[in-house]
Amino acid sequence: MKRRPLNKLLVANRGEIALRIIRSARLLGIATVAVYSEADADAAHVAAADQARLIGPPEASESYLNIAAIIEAARATDADAIHPGYGFLSERPEFARAVGEAGMVFVGPPAEVMAALGDKVAARRLAADAGVPVVPGLETVDDRTAEQFAARVGFPLMVKAAAGGGGRGMRLVEAQAGLAEALAAASREAKAAFGDGRVFLEKYLAHPRHIEVQILADQHGVVVALGERDCSIQRRHQKIIEESPAPGLDDSLRGRMVEAALKVARVAGYRNAGTMEFLVDGGEFYFLEANTRLQVEHPVTEMRYGCDLVAEQLRVAMGERVSEPAAPRGVAIECRIYAEDAEHNFRPATGDALYLNLPAGPGVRIDTHLVTGARVTAFYDGLLGKLICWGADREQARGRMVAALGEFSLLGVTNTAAFLREVIASEAFGDARLSTRFLEEFFPRWSPDGEALECLLVAAAIAAGGGLGAAQSASSRGALSGGSATGHGRRSPWGELTGFEPWGRGER
Amino acid sequence: MKLKRQGDAREFEVELLAQNRQNDTDAGAPRAIRITIDGREVAATVAPMPDGSAIVELGGRRVRVAGARLRSSIVVAAGPLAAEFVVVEGRTAHRAGGLAAPEVDAPMPGKVLKVLVSEGQPVEHGDPLIVLEAMKMETTLYAESPAIVAKICVEAGQMVDHGARLIELSPVATPARPREPPPQDD
Repeated sequence: MKRRPLNKLLVANRGEIALRIIRSARLLGIATVAVYSEADADAAHVAAADQARLIGPPEASESYLNIAAIIEAARATDADAIHPGYGFLSERPEFARAVGEAGMVFVGPPAEVMAALGDKVAARRLAADAGVPVVPGLETVDDRTAEQFAARVGFPLMVKAAAGGGGRGMRLVEAQAGLAEALAAASREAKAAFGDGRVFLEKYLAHPRHIEVQILADQHGVVVALGERDCSIQRRHQKIIEESPAPGLDDSLRGRMVEAALKVARVAGYRNAGTMEFLVDGGEFYFLEANTRLQVEHPVTEMRYGCDLVAEQLRVAMGERVSEPAAPRGVAIECRIYAEDAEHNFRPATGDALYLNLPAGPGVRIDTHLVTGARVTAFYDGLLGKLICWGADREQARGRMVAALGEFSLLGVTNTAAFLREVIASEAFGDARLSTRFLEEFFPRWSPDGEALECLLVAAAIAAGGGLGAAQSASSRGALSGGSATGHGRRSPWGELTGFEPWGRGER
Repeated sequence: MKLKRQGDAREFEVELLAQNRQNDTDAGAPRAIRITIDGREVAATVAPMPDGSAIVELGGRRVRVAGARLRSSIVVAAGPLAAEFVVVEGRTAHRAGGLAAPEVDAPMPGKVLKVLVSEGQPVEHGDPLIVLEAMKMETTLYAESPAIVAKICVEAGQMVDHGARLIELSPVATPARPREPPPQDD
């Protein structure tokens, strides 16, 4: 078994996860290279890395999905490894292969394992062959077989992309009438997002919980599980709240799921960090898919196990052994804050971060690339940051989360923080009435309460009126004033002030 | 001043009536402000903070707020709640010939994936008009009432900003009930 120390790591991603990876690499003494698109020249990950390379125009297909440009950036900077993060190229076997062929280490599973597991249809077969239960499904779909399958298992059905992930290329079909259109739309979306339009059908379980098991495996044949995460609370089939342990999960069921996850990982010859996702419905569990990469919600596991999953990934990539996990402690909850309007069907929002207040306190962690002045564009995923709270028990973690979300404030980009705070504070969440239908059931429609709206309107009246007191003295930069828009259409809160002047003005 | 949030039919009438400071040289001192919201007067105190935010005290609660006027909107944050308002100034709510909306604007920034109609084409309520893609999610915009497609302002593949005009509709040729033009407001 080769051991190969890494000297320089190229991070083929952006946003909070690029920062997260740079941090762990630095702790291990590995130099870092950031890559960025023209839209990200000012981004936090570019500033954080030891080196940075421009890889293309804003469109992801021309930059963060551009394998040739990324490999070239790695060559030009003498990087000996590439970490793909999540999303973008993280689950593309051809990328892992290209990295290997360029003589570098891909921080993730081998390309052929990724191909076998990353393809949802192939992964279903692999799990079923290993004796792990899977959701009833149809793997080779055309309009005729789809109709027959629907007649056999009944509606609703879920259309999924074979190459899918992150909720993309998924369509729920309630009745025969929408089936053909859903198949076509999901296929189109999958083709655009993943370059692979294959779709398959699964029976849609009514009230399942989404529970997943974190796996770490090395090249020495050691495979360990680091507990589970409940990721049931989703919108558009994409997780927004995750927690560990899964509340109220029966110990024997948990044990069987962990065993199943380890089995799939072993049969597949898995290596590095990965996640086996399951649906749990009425005391039964079904293998859903494998995520052959670091997950967005990995901090939940890190908080409970006191581990650093990115560092573990890098150690595995260097040929080291996975360490035996410590006993987990307490409860961790994560909330994903998105640039979306929760009041209007989670419509994507964009804008510039003009004012930002980030929470802190015992058991509070925030993974974010947001800084004052950061620009949120429509080019990339709208994840602004992840707030993770740890507590000795679920109530403490929940209380800390409510408080931390209350401290979070971001001006300039409509976001989901206030919505998440209400969800976490709700009785339904307190009672852990979790299912993937949680939001439709308990928050089918949400809008801020009247008092919150009143505060917004007070702020709007002040801002529209030109700020607070236009005649403030020059020495008080901190005061609220009106002013004119700058060339970029950017504006500081209320006008000119704020600390958004790189070097200050020398007074104080 | 009338304010409206994107995608929200409600309009709010808000006026800043007065703000009083005890001391002109102390910009950080709390000041009393009076505001009307939909005609109802609200009294609050506002204390500017050195980081550019302000603490608003309203009905016994203290909330950190921040706000800024952008070129075409006002962005505000009150605690974790952030929103964007557009100023509805002198814009009439006139709806031509009973059309629910005579124009179709982009509800979010993104890419025009498909234009499903052509100029001159009649559409029925619920007909898909255009497909947008933002953050890799497809969103289809539908006709809100029967109409004729008068003008298509974008083409497939084009990136559009939030609020960009996509399609203009004109009423179908049935005689519409004559309407009083609604009063202009400023």
